Amino acid sequence: MEARPVQRSGSRELSNLTRTSSIPSTPNPSSAAAAEVAFMRSENNNNNTQFMSKPLGGQNYHLLASSNGGAVGHICSSSSSGFSTNLHYSSMEKHYASSSSNAAAAAALRDDSSWCSDSLHGGFLDFPENHHQASQIEDGGGIGAAFDDIQKRNDWHEWADHLITDEDPLLSTNWNDLLLETSSQSDSKKTLQVQPQPQIVQQQQPSPSVSVELRPVSTTSSNSNNGNGKARMRWTPELHEAFVEAVNSLGGSERATPKGVLKKMKVEGLTIYHVKSHLQKYRTARYRPEPSETGSSEKKLTPLEHITSLDLKGGMGITEALRLQMEVQKQLHEQLEIQRNLQLRIEEQGKYLQMMFEKQNSGLSKGTASTSDSPSKSEQEDKKISDSKDHLTPEETGKCKEPESPQPKRHKTDN
Amino acid sequence: MKFGKRIKEQIQESLPEWRDKFLRYKELKNLISSPAPAESIFVGLLNAEIEKFNAFFVEQEEDFIIHHKELQYRIQRLVEKCGDNDDVMFREEIGEIRKDIVNFHGEMVLLVNYSNINYTGLAKILKKYDKRTGGALRSPFIQKVLRQPFFKTDLVSRLVREWETTMDAMFPALTREVEGYERSAAVSSAAAGEGIFRNTVAALMTMREMRRGSSTYGAYSLPPLNLSDSDLVYGRDISLLRYLFLIDKSCSNLITREMDLS
Repeated sequence: MEARPVQRSGSRELSNLTRTSSIPSTPNPSSAAAAEVAFMRSENNNNNTQFMSKPLGGQNYHLLASSNGGAVGHICSSSSSGFSTNLHYSSMEKHYASSSSNAAAAAALRDDSSWCSDSLHGGFLDFPENHHQASQIEDGGGIGAAFDDIQKRNDWHEWADHLITDEDPLLSTNWNDLLLETSSQSDSKKTLQVQPQPQIVQQQQPSPSVSVELRPVSTTSSNSNNGNGKARMRWTPELHEAFVEAVNSLGGSERATPKGVLKKMKVEGLTIYHVKSHLQKYRTARYRPEPSETGSSEKKLTPLEHITSLDLKGGMGITEALRLQMEVQKQLHEQLEIQRNLQLRIEEQGKYLQMMFEKQNSGLSKGTASTSDSPSKSEQEDKKISDSKDHLTPEETGKCKEPESPQPKRHKTDN
Repeated sequence: MKFGKRIKEQIQESLPEWRDKFLRYKELKNLISSPAPAESIFVGLLNAEIEKFNAFFVEQEEDFIIHHKELQYRIQRLVEKCGDNDDVMFREEIGEIRKDIVNFHGEMVLLVNYSNINYTGLAKILKKYDKRTGGALRSPFIQKVLRQPFFKTDLVSRLVREWETTMDAMFPALTREVEGYERSAAVSSAAAGEGIFRNTVAALMTMREMRRGSSTYGAYSLPPLNLSDSDLVYGRDISLLRYLFLIDKSCSNLITREMDLS
């Protein structure tokens, strides 16, 4: 039957796939999309110099190298006098109240001690730092950064009282000392270290890297998600891989202890609490290998209902049903990505428009602009916006209608 | 009332643990309609919501990362064990794995959807607020939202795409298969799959509704969505075509029908 050769080639493909998939590879987004993402992250980008100690309205950045030969931690601490760029964050979240030594650490190892934009899994929060996709987004970045500055100044007054100035003990250790412990132990058993040569390279494609993103919370504020007020951690596949290796080297998930794992991993900024909770999740996942993280608290359908629901999929066999499900999911995902990009662009343009508006206003108030100029100017801007939206629609959504002609008879949508 | 209704439906269709993690759109709307909506209260509520999103999202993401790795290992082990065998056990196990892949993929997509719908809700509610109070809260606030962890879905999206690729290798080419035994296995797999499937369908339809064109069209509105016929023609399963056709033609009916079934 046909089944046999199909299976065989399927398995072969499969083994090929598993071989390659052990090295996390990333399908590159198109460069245009990447540039967009990068632009939106331009404020979040790390810069790519090695040791950066640069005050930004009071910010200090320290580049860390951990003793495992290159996992790099980036800690940002703000002095109590200046702005914290975490101001944004603290303005958003009381829980993230910015202490004087707030930190958002993104440890990224590509080539040893270089930064990486880490465009795939959030680098920084909201640091209007240098962006190394400069050529593509220079002007936009400039506008964005300028706007942010204006914004920050306004925010400062409004949210100054949210600042809490105690230091998070985690971050008060002397990172500079750690800097000296470089890759003397570059024996890395980890597959994380790729190239030992330090290179300042801007990469779109993440080779395995260790990323740690921390948002430490001042201990005085209550954190609703984990009551001990510790930093929330954002895991990445690479970091998890390091975790798994450490666990395995300690005899498996049952025998390994959080402390041991923490020591083994040697990732700066990682606390025992992070490891502990992650280990717990890991253990659960291993010994209850059924898929849904969401648990099987789904209402149990009776067999009859099963069949009826399956009928909805046209009475196909299970493989076809799965395929169908996959297709629907794929389509949803695609649409979500498109929508997200659109939303980003919309806001971007809104920012731009607002900037222009403010500029114009200040011009008017100085009495330098003549009244006849302003209407044409705003017309111009409107046109600019709708023009770029026109560009948006064809390229993003195919055969969409032009925004200028919304469907009139559509029932009133209350946005 | 469109979005409010839609998000409510989404929440209903969503996986149980997620239900209280969505934006409380209606409550916020009510707050706005009250005589004197205080900005500090409003902002405070929004911040709390955002905190909620962040916490949930990051936690789910962590779970996904773990599961992602585990699934990879499982596949690896299966391949090593069975190699090119065609025996029954292999087929059973691969069936299990396929199901798991699809469901895992689905959950991740739903998380992306979760992020998106909450973002959209926030944007809408802010717009309403500004409209009601004549304020200018929306723009700066949205800028902050864009930087929130829950909005940064890149990692999850990347995993989604990886599994789409893997799936192509895991599923046999489109030939007829002996699926008798698979049909009986369907019962056990239905539970998780159905919930995800329905949620996905609901999400797609919400998107469609949202993008149908708005009466209050402005510079911040999304252009219309078009699940055109050409999108439906994947050149494959006719049943897929039929089903998506169903979705397109009778969206709300479909949801109702599915809800009746439960």
